[in-house]
Amino acid sequence: MKRLFGTVFRKELRDHLRDRRSVLTALMFPLLGPVVFLVMFNLLASWYRQDRPLELPVIGRAHAPSLMAFLERYGAKLVEAPADYESRIRAGTLDAVLIVPEDYGREFSTGHTAEVQLVVDSSRQSARHSVLRARRLLEAYARFLGDQRLYARGIAPGLAIPVRVQELDLSTPERTAAGVLNMVPLFLVLAAFAGGMQLASDTMAGERERGSLEPLLLNPAPRSAVVTGKWLATVAMAAVAVLLTLVGYLLVVRRVPLEDLGVKARFDAPAALGMAAAVLPLCLAASAVQMWVSTYARSFKEAQTYLSLLMTVPMLPGMVLALSPLQTQAWMFAVPVLGQELLAGEVMRGEPLGPLPFLIAAASSVAVSALALRITTGLLAQERIVFGRG
Amino acid sequence: MIEARNLHKRFGRVTAVEDVSFTAEDGVITGLLGPNGAGKTTTMRMLYTLVRPDRGTALVDGVDVVRRPEEARRGLGVLPDARGLYPRLTAREHARYFGELHGLSGAALDKRVDELIDLLDMKDIADRRTEGFSQGERVKVALARALVHGPRNVLLDEPTNGLDVMSTRAVRTLLRRLKAEGRCVVFSSHVMQEVAALCDRIVVVAHGKVVADGTPDALRASTGKDSLEEAFVATIGSDQGLMQ
Repeated sequence: MKRLFGTVFRKELRDHLRDRRSVLTALMFPLLGPVVFLVMFNLLASWYRQDRPLELPVIGRAHAPSLMAFLERYGAKLVEAPADYESRIRAGTLDAVLIVPEDYGREFSTGHTAEVQLVVDSSRQSARHSVLRARRLLEAYARFLGDQRLYARGIAPGLAIPVRVQELDLSTPERTAAGVLNMVPLFLVLAAFAGGMQLASDTMAGERERGSLEPLLLNPAPRSAVVTGKWLATVAMAAVAVLLTLVGYLLVVRRVPLEDLGVKARFDAPAALGMAAAVLPLCLAASAVQMWVSTYARSFKEAQTYLSLLMTVPMLPGMVLALSPLQTQAWMFAVPVLGQELLAGEVMRGEPLGPLPFLIAAASSVAVSALALRITTGLLAQERIVFGRG
Repeated sequence: MIEARNLHKRFGRVTAVEDVSFTAEDGVITGLLGPNGAGKTTTMRMLYTLVRPDRGTALVDGVDVVRRPEEARRGLGVLPDARGLYPRLTAREHARYFGELHGLSGAALDKRVDELIDLLDMKDIADRRTEGFSQGERVKVALARALVHGPRNVLLDEPTNGLDVMSTRAVRTLLRRLKAEGRCVVFSSHVMQEVAALCDRIVVVAHGKVVADGTPDALRASTGKDSLEEAFVATIGSDQGLMQ
């Protein structure tokens, strides 16, 4: 039995690796994730660069000298605003412009509320951070002056503030990074599906289409040995795809300015090992289910269509997780795909996990594989599968 | 030796095979002759264990194909209706793969594969990938993998279908050789000339039943016809599908 499935395994891999185009397809996909990662992080870093002083173009600087002094003291770099500032803000080359009206000084010194205008385009994500910084500075100045006026009249400023809202930002740097890094688990899980897809299509549906399944089943080898050999070959391709994706991320992460974002994600060797331990067992289940689905298809093309649809299954929880992280609960680790995405995410965020969630996730993958393989083996005894050709 | 005993098979409401019994002896070429749709392929599939009979069974060298299909397959070499090859493997790799699945390995397997390549006269195609092989070359590869384990019993479903004259001759030569080696050879065909040229014994199947079983001479005698062709027509009641 052991030798027999070894024979099938070797034949399937050799056969598959000679198909240059489908191997290339299987291996290109894992590189997609890291490339997206590289581009996205560089983009984000260019938006959120913390170390850069706030550059604030001002119109009418002369109307509010003390405000200007305050802004400069708190690190803003004031420059003259260009004449076409509105179109520039719309185009995204300017983040915000401060306008100090002529009557600012008069209103201010008579004790009325003086107005300044902050011109922004709120639909531009990239300007959000600069706008926020400018607004905070202006509000701080207003509060500072307000307090002084109250003191001058012998009133404690606290009286005018019955409730003060204080924001406690719980996101550790690791968590902030993970918000963006949530794409990583998704791509790892997708690789577990993409890597073996070609082989799974060819090894069952392709065998039916070519008319080579009947001769194959004429051998005295048990059907379970045939299915196991084919499954292991699929698993091998899937595992290679997952590992390639991980290596891709490891290489790319050195070229990404994570520090500029003020964040730190764990992407060192132990974290990579943890992610491999989280996602690799999924290859077993993904490949087994792919084989099962592929057995129903009468042709390679039909199998590809079904298996592409199957790929959307990991996309769904992945998308949800990337947009709104769930409150993780133990049972979730037992759901294949969701469990792996959660695990990989937690490892990346640097959460201490312990071995139990890994074991739960792996056990559920093994259970799914066993079920799918059993059904596939049963299908090979059915006449409509063995003889029903496309 | 292959013994078919009261084989029955229905597909839905259609009865494909109804009470087929015959014995194919060692050292004899037995032809399963019948028009298209007579139930030859279904009978063959029951003999080579991939279709389970509704009733009846068959014995391959005494091994019951229903109860012990894996063991029965060990004693069988089959050229089935489906002859699909793996386009990215060479002819030699096909034979080796099937040999390994039969439990052969090492020098014994190498020797056996070389013998077959010699026997089937496929030296010049042995190490080429099978993609783009001609029909005749494909049948040779399919025969090589069917015979790699040196089976005592050989089943061939329409082996010369779609072959040119040269390839047909090669297949006939091979069948005679297998017979001379004392193997039990059963092949099905809807071509009377094919069966007449090769068979020692003919089992005529029509509408899922055995309608005649005997040597060509016995068939002629029992129908009172001089030519084999007339004898077949008389036996199955029509000449539809028998002529080429």
